[in-house]
Amino acid sequence: MGHHTITEVRQEKFDFSGRIKLIPILLFVVGAILAGVGAMQAKKSWDAPRAEVTNAVNDHSAEANNHETQEAHTDHHQTLTDTHGGSAVLSDAHAEENHAEVAHTETHVSSEHAEAHGNHHEATYMTRVWANLLLNSYYFWLFAVSALFFIAVNYVANAGWAVMLKRIMEAQSSYLLVGSILLFTILFLGRDTLYHWVNYFDGSAAGNPQDPGYDTILESKHWLLNNSSIFFFIPFVLIIWYLVRTKLRRNSIAEDETPGLDMFKNSTRWSAGFIFFFAFSFSALSWLIIMSLDAHWYSTMFSVYNFAISFVSGLSVMMLILQYLKSKGYMEMVSDEVVHDLGKFMFAFCVFWGYIFLGQWLLIWYTNLPEETVYFQARLNSHFKPLFFINLFMCFLIPFLTLMMRGAKRSPKVLLAAALTILVGHWVDMYLLIMPGTVGNKADLGLLEIGTTMAFAGIFIYTVLHSLSKANLYPLNHPYLLESANHDVGV
Amino acid sequence: MVDKSILLDNKKFTVGTFTDSDKLLHAVETLRKKEVKIFDCYTPFPVHHLDHALGYTRTNLTIGAFLCGMLGTLSGFTLAYSMNVVDWPMIIGGKPQDINVFTSFIPVIFELTILFTAFGMVIMFFARNRMIHGIKEDLLDRRQTDDHLLLAIDNSEEQSLSNDEIQSILINEGAVKVKGNVESFNTSLTTEEDLEIVIGNNEGAAVIN
Repeated sequence: MGHHTITEVRQEKFDFSGRIKLIPILLFVVGAILAGVGAMQAKKSWDAPRAEVTNAVNDHSAEANNHETQEAHTDHHQTLTDTHGGSAVLSDAHAEENHAEVAHTETHVSSEHAEAHGNHHEATYMTRVWANLLLNSYYFWLFAVSALFFIAVNYVANAGWAVMLKRIMEAQSSYLLVGSILLFTILFLGRDTLYHWVNYFDGSAAGNPQDPGYDTILESKHWLLNNSSIFFFIPFVLIIWYLVRTKLRRNSIAEDETPGLDMFKNSTRWSAGFIFFFAFSFSALSWLIIMSLDAHWYSTMFSVYNFAISFVSGLSVMMLILQYLKSKGYMEMVSDEVVHDLGKFMFAFCVFWGYIFLGQWLLIWYTNLPEETVYFQARLNSHFKPLFFINLFMCFLIPFLTLMMRGAKRSPKVLLAAALTILVGHWVDMYLLIMPGTVGNKADLGLLEIGTTMAFAGIFIYTVLHSLSKANLYPLNHPYLLESANHDVGV
Repeated sequence: MVDKSILLDNKKFTVGTFTDSDKLLHAVETLRKKEVKIFDCYTPFPVHHLDHALGYTRTNLTIGAFLCGMLGTLSGFTLAYSMNVVDWPMIIGGKPQDINVFTSFIPVIFELTILFTAFGMVIMFFARNRMIHGIKEDLLDRRQTDDHLLLAIDNSEEQSLSNDEIQSILINEGAVKVKGNVESFNTSLTTEEDLEIVIGNNEGAAVIN
């Protein structure tokens, strides 16, 4: 304050030259080749037995457990207590109590359909391919969604500090169109392979209580889990979001030509409406796309959990783009103060993710209901266990302890490292959300996973940098531009 | 941080009164460039970068806060562990009574971490600033708690410039009032004494009270 008040922002334009274009294109090509090789490898090695898999529980056996007799339930429950509580001896001592608790489940699961899901088609290597495509299309799409949400929040909150970064957010949200098309295509084409409820509702047991395969839980969710949700509801939401994004972007570009508050006010109104719609639609989409992979499972925290993943990883991507541009000599007018604040946001939402994770885990652990714990059983008492803890460390503990210091939030190197840790951590997070419910104990980390991620990263980077080069790097006539350029909280 | 008492007893000050925080900041910078030692600034609101301009390094309070937090984490864990595992194990929800119930310790650990950090910060802050209960509130000017910003220079300190030169710099920098020989007073005086000093302190200024 006082000293060097900036009164004019020097305009810049990002040059998306041929050499820079080559990087995402190479990333895509190499990724696609690696993914192809990985898929071939997976196909070859699919029928070979896995040595180390001992007590892994995939979705199918978990379901089978769910539908066995009461005696079997008790066994199942003991395993759970073993996982989440610790001592197996103790579980035995309290088998009686467990019995009483488990009886509760019987209200949901009738014991007569022991072989209910025996007709499930087994996971094949194609399941793994589709699951990977779903993972990456959803994960990269989340970056765009959170960027759009962040723009809207900044408008509604009348926030000025991040205006210098607005074009980065807009560029990031430009992946919304490509991402939505990819996501919808993959959902549409892969739905039979990915979602076992799709098979169930296509089968003879659906809507027929006399059928031994009749599934009360799935039937009770039929209002949401049905084909018209995939065919109509998802595209409806995606189109609305895309329209809002287009409107906000057009306003932003038009503002460069026309000084005044008209565009700002218009964008604020659109943003307010969008946030209202987003809260409902994002929840519904996260249930439909991800939670329904484990269609028998319930969690009221799930959509918040997805939002936490989306927001913190979106902020990390924003930080990566900003640091990339700064390293290339662009955006030098973005002060350390703004970078510091973005770092604070990253830190805050790491903690938010940890909080939401605990909120979901703690309640399920305490109540210990089989139909809820089965979700963590498949993730914690199987070969996914190391990833489960890697996820906790990379998404919460490491960034929490690193970004806590003031110096860390002002150091480009530390911020880069933290952002990459968060992004890889949340990739693992998505992996844990998707793989146990689809591929089960055959899930692996290999060339297929790496290749698919690289290919999607290539598409994402190309789209974002292309959009970035289309407009000035600073929104010239935004009323808060100078506030952002002079942003200073005095610490 | 510069080690000094906020007790201003028995000291005479050259005081520049400002009404604009930017002017105060600039005056501090100018004086420090000429190697004038500034005793302190008194402002009714935080002025950004004033601490930096006065040459204060960043506070170590954050490290203290972190240590307090760690202490809270340890206390929370010890509390929960000694109660639920060592001293009086209870079976809750069929859970075992050993380290595997760590999940149920997390809320306790979380709360105690925050409690210790908050209390630790408050206690350390007051202790470091010597704001002990019963301390006399020393003021150089009544309006330093209202809308005026003071720049105080200790007359007993060796300065590179003469007192007159310092005063003329302060005036040039936009001080609304400069006085060469101000003594502090404190608000625990009686009303009559108080008023006398206030009037004495504010000769020529607008009526106060």
